[in-house]
Amino acid sequence: MVLKLDLDGTVHTITILARRPHLVLSVDGRRHVVEGLDEVGDGSRALTLDGGPVAFARAGSADGAIIRLDGRSFALRRVDAAAEASAAGGGANVVRAPMPGTVVVVHKRVGDSVQRGETIVTIESMKLQMKLDAPRDGEIAEIAAREGEGFDKDAVLARLAAPAEG
Amino acid sequence: MMTAPDDTQPFRKVLIANRGEIACRIIRTLREMGIASVAIHHPVEARARHVREADETVEISGETPVAAHLDSGQIIAAARAVGADAIHPGYGFLSENARFACAVSEAGLTFIGPDADTIALMGDKISARQFAADHGVPVAPSVMPTEDLAEFTRQATEIGFPLLIKAAAGGGGKGMSIVRSAEELEGAARLAASEAQRYFGDGRVYAELFVERPRHIEVQVFGDGKGSAIHLFERECSVQRRFQKIIEEAPAANLPAALRDEICASAVRLAAASNYRNAGTVEYILGADGRFFFLEMNTRLQVEHPVTEMIIGLDLVRMQIEIAAGSDLPITQDAVAANGHAIECRICAEDPERDFLPETGTILHLDAPQAAYLRFENALDRGQRVTADFDPMLAKLVAHGPDRAVATERAIAALHELALLGIKTNIDYLARVLGHPAFAAGELHTGFVVQHKAELTAGEPDEATRDTVLIAAALGLRDFRDLILGVPEPHASIGHWRN
Repeated sequence: MVLKLDLDGTVHTITILARRPHLVLSVDGRRHVVEGLDEVGDGSRALTLDGGPVAFARAGSADGAIIRLDGRSFALRRVDAAAEASAAGGGANVVRAPMPGTVVVVHKRVGDSVQRGETIVTIESMKLQMKLDAPRDGEIAEIAAREGEGFDKDAVLARLAAPAEG
Repeated sequence: MMTAPDDTQPFRKVLIANRGEIACRIIRTLREMGIASVAIHHPVEARARHVREADETVEISGETPVAAHLDSGQIIAAARAVGADAIHPGYGFLSENARFACAVSEAGLTFIGPDADTIALMGDKISARQFAADHGVPVAPSVMPTEDLAEFTRQATEIGFPLLIKAAAGGGGKGMSIVRSAEELEGAARLAASEAQRYFGDGRVYAELFVERPRHIEVQVFGDGKGSAIHLFERECSVQRRFQKIIEEAPAANLPAALRDEICASAVRLAAASNYRNAGTVEYILGADGRFFFLEMNTRLQVEHPVTEMIIGLDLVRMQIEIAAGSDLPITQDAVAANGHAIECRICAEDPERDFLPETGTILHLDAPQAAYLRFENALDRGQRVTADFDPMLAKLVAHGPDRAVATERAIAALHELALLGIKTNIDYLARVLGHPAFAAGELHTGFVVQHKAELTAGEPDEATRDTVLIAAALGLRDFRDLILGVPEPHASIGHWRN
């Protein structure tokens, strides 16, 4: 079984290399030995990873988990085959409205190349202006946002061209 | 003597016209004092913590939960119906509404706060500023709005530079500029006047001394309503985002003793001059040159009152209740002593990486650290939905220490330990602010968050951290785990567990 988890927009692959005498997992090809398997479910947990103790907190979310480690929280989303397929035509390729609002400025045009974090549109929601950034490096395939126009939550405002591979 | 005898309660039953952490905090003191508490709630918050913790509850209605909490008529009727003798407004909502305070008194109940006319006086920026100036509280020198540019330039030059020039009718930064020398003044004033005319149809311009890198310093005062007032030292609330405080501390860092005395004394002067009753906070901006100016007076309990409580050792809510019942001030100025340092962090449902935009979600896991030197003021429950119905502040984490360095260290450790999962918060961001060298050095000003934006942004996790996080997440997924443990296939497929 290959498990795929999305962390901050990057998909990572976890596979089981061995179960006995110790659990050995591969994370993107890096080998890790896991001992003292923790409990399932939410709460404060501990395990031994590559010989060292690790303490963390975990909460299962609808489609993944949230992990708090060393004073930082990380949201992970499970990527299953179906989701991955649809992600190829959407997912990390689209810029969605986080809440209903109005388009203030469209900063990019179709065909522009953008870097991850570059602002594509500025919107206004609940009297707050907010910049919507490119989720990854790429080329703008579509701009659905028009300055001055309103939109609903989750509306696709811009789309990036699908990457050359996977 | 108006003082209530020690063996009788000031009130029998108090209704709290608020919700969330502040309602829970007030209930705690009421319980300690043996006074019954009444919570109010909109239907959407029927199972909230403050409702469960109160002795009695009353459901109020409204198109939105906030509208219900602002419905003074309904709230006063509820208080009368349950036989409460007083109303504590908390902060926000109706706490600084003079008409509400007045209506509470007219209904024969006690408003736990200042008199309605004091709320009205301080609630109007112009009258409050004038009152402060009349009583020797420094206000920022300014030139009153005028269309006579020659007269404007003459008066403005007298104030000195830098100056902030803006349209009298303005807003949104239109026609606003900072002038640093006499040579620039006339041109800037002319430009501001024409912009003002163009945008607002009113060519009058206004100027005031511009304080660079201002610090926000405020003084906690208490008055007995009979002309006596004391201060409980200052708080510094310079670390702000979107003009709202996120970290507050007491006392202020690196504040020379003489300046502290001067600021606190001016706050007491203002409170005494207005025959102030109950708790209030006088807010100032403090420039790098040590000049300080009156900003406004908040006629209520502040969100950040716990930092004062932790260094002074007094319960401010208890003081509010006793004074509202007619007691004298419980302590003389000479007896007020500060011990150590306290820092409060406001934990908000927001995304610091996206301009602090409010976040919504469900609290999936909550585990807060506990220690004698910590307070975690909250009304949170596991499974609770955090919606956009109310303010995004979820909780306050307050740490005390013998000095500022220890208090900071404890606050950072507590933020690291605090696990509030299921919704994006500023917890990690707050820890980065407290860990910043400029914070440690006490180099604070209201633009701190903007100035240090780059260093306060979360860095990419290193590979080891990322792999650990991925493994920790994977091991919590039922089907992946079943595979590892070798659970037979039928069971494994039944338990395709996703939560």
